[in-house]
Amino acid sequence: MINDIRVGALIAYCSVKRGNKKTLIFIVFVLSLIFMNLVFLPSMIGGLSGLFTGFMQDYPYGDIVIEPTGDNTYINNADNVLKKVRAVEGVRAGTKRLDVGASINHKQKVVGVTITGMLPTEEYEISRYPYIISEGDFLSDLSRDEIIIGAMIAGTGFGSEIYDNLGEVRPGAFVDVTYSNGVKRTYKVKGIMEGKFEVVDLNALVHYKEIEDVYGLEGKEATSVVVRVDRQGTEAQIQDKIREAGVNEQIFTWADKSESLIRQAMQSMGAIDTMSKIVSLIVGAALVLIIIYINVLNRKKEIGILKAVGITPRSIVLSYAFLSTFYVSLGISAGLILYLSLMFYFQANPVTFYETLEIRPAIDPVLLVQSVVTMLTLSVIAGILPAWSVSRESILKAIWGR
Amino acid sequence: MIIVKDLKRCYGTGDTAVRALKGVSFEINKGEFVAIMGASGSGKTTLLRILALLDDATDGEYTIRGLKVSSLPEAERSYYRLTQVGYIFQDYALISEMSAAENVYLLSMMEGKSKKESYRTALEALEKVGLKGKHDRVPDELSGGEKQRVAIARAIAKRPDILFADEPCANLDTTNSKQVLDVFKELNERYGQTIVMVTHEPWHTDYVDRVITFKDGSLLSDDKKMKVKE
Repeated sequence: MINDIRVGALIAYCSVKRGNKKTLIFIVFVLSLIFMNLVFLPSMIGGLSGLFTGFMQDYPYGDIVIEPTGDNTYINNADNVLKKVRAVEGVRAGTKRLDVGASINHKQKVVGVTITGMLPTEEYEISRYPYIISEGDFLSDLSRDEIIIGAMIAGTGFGSEIYDNLGEVRPGAFVDVTYSNGVKRTYKVKGIMEGKFEVVDLNALVHYKEIEDVYGLEGKEATSVVVRVDRQGTEAQIQDKIREAGVNEQIFTWADKSESLIRQAMQSMGAIDTMSKIVSLIVGAALVLIIIYINVLNRKKEIGILKAVGITPRSIVLSYAFLSTFYVSLGISAGLILYLSLMFYFQANPVTFYETLEIRPAIDPVLLVQSVVTMLTLSVIAGILPAWSVSRESILKAIWGR
Repeated sequence: MIIVKDLKRCYGTGDTAVRALKGVSFEINKGEFVAIMGASGSGKTTLLRILALLDDATDGEYTIRGLKVSSLPEAERSYYRLTQVGYIFQDYALISEMSAAENVYLLSMMEGKSKKESYRTALEALEKVGLKGKHDRVPDELSGGEKQRVAIARAIAKRPDILFADEPCANLDTTNSKQVLDVFKELNERYGQTIVMVTHEPWHTDYVDRVITFKDGSLLSDDKKMKVKE
């Protein structure tokens, strides 16, 4: 076997060394494009998916979110839940929130929104709400009769032309809020938030105490408890620890939530991605097969001669395996350079989606390794098949065609 | 050394069957330089290919040094071709992307010799056929005679028991043909190499010890120490 490998390697080496360099460059170029096609679209989809899931983490769900069980509207012992959660090792911070439906009225314009009651100081550790105030200020612990309005409903941000809005409400203006239970309140707009994401910019924020007062709650309820962990990637372990700590509400990681929310969109994208991958792989394998097949046909006589002088069929097949591995390795290397160049370009110049969302492709090492292995395996098989087929022919047929 | 008994070879079946060999028998001794002659289609090349294990006989048997090589499985036939038999093709049959040395030492590497040893053996063989200093040249950079000498070097580098040559001078002019035949003669006389050569050219018989003539798939004559008259 070692002799087969040595001889196979020598045949392949001579073929590359003295073969047509222009053909080699063309083959490598085409293979590099195939590799690029294999990894580029998934990277863009990964970037898009990461953008959405990042939003989910930064605003509504944190790293872990605890929600009421069954048909319950509230977690009735939210403070007790928070106490248990905060005691769990690996938890960085936690807070409770109250989400309610309401309508906001300003100068005869009415917009339906979700209003989140939150504890402002705690939000600095939990979400990015305090950091996306484009005008005015964020809420404080003393904020009463004050509201933060999303830019899309305020009518000051992108998307205002698509959605109903209040017609350019600015900080200092007064708006009337009618809650789902019919209670009406007038709030002074303290700030406008602009997260460039509908889930954020179509909502409004008030102090937790406001919701508590409006709905006559006792200070222990929450529609969600949002948790942040010390180390990303430990969410699932901490989810288990929270359960073990005696929290009986529904506990979700951000991944659980994001997956269900963007599953449909990602499924469609995933289907396109899968089809694109399969087509790329088939084209890549077919290309290598054609290249090697033409090569083998051109050298059919030489293969016969090699057999006639005593070179084993295994050496001959191995030489083509080495040859296709060499072509594909070069193609993958060139494809990687091309891919990384494009990645750096799009990191610096992200694709703008929906005018506000900047999509930066995600480089996924697992995807890269998978693509390299898949392409190598398929191409080597595609390279070996024609050589194997010819090496099984009789010497007379290979050399003299009979 | 070679014993051929009632060897037959038939291509195709039924009405279209061609009987290339119709039952030939003869023996070749060690150290003989034999020419096989005959008109086109007389069966001489078919015989050579069967003896060199490139083709199979339809019937009959042949032994080389007492070994019934016709019944060997393919893997052993391949090994036999590599180690015991040298075959020289009419059209040189060199690998175009390999240098002269690489064409030769490829076989030594297949036998398991180190690259260094294989290279040294190849240089010796090339020197033996008068190609010293041309080991780095690829076939396209060599003349027809030089290519054929590389092919001879490839065949003799492994020191085979028998050298088969199928019209080795068919594509060469007289000068180059003489150079090739001189190499054969030297190999035969100096090293006792057994050589079986198919040829059309009567003057080639000046170099050989024995002439076997075929006609229509049968052995017409077997003349030792007798030259064919032009």
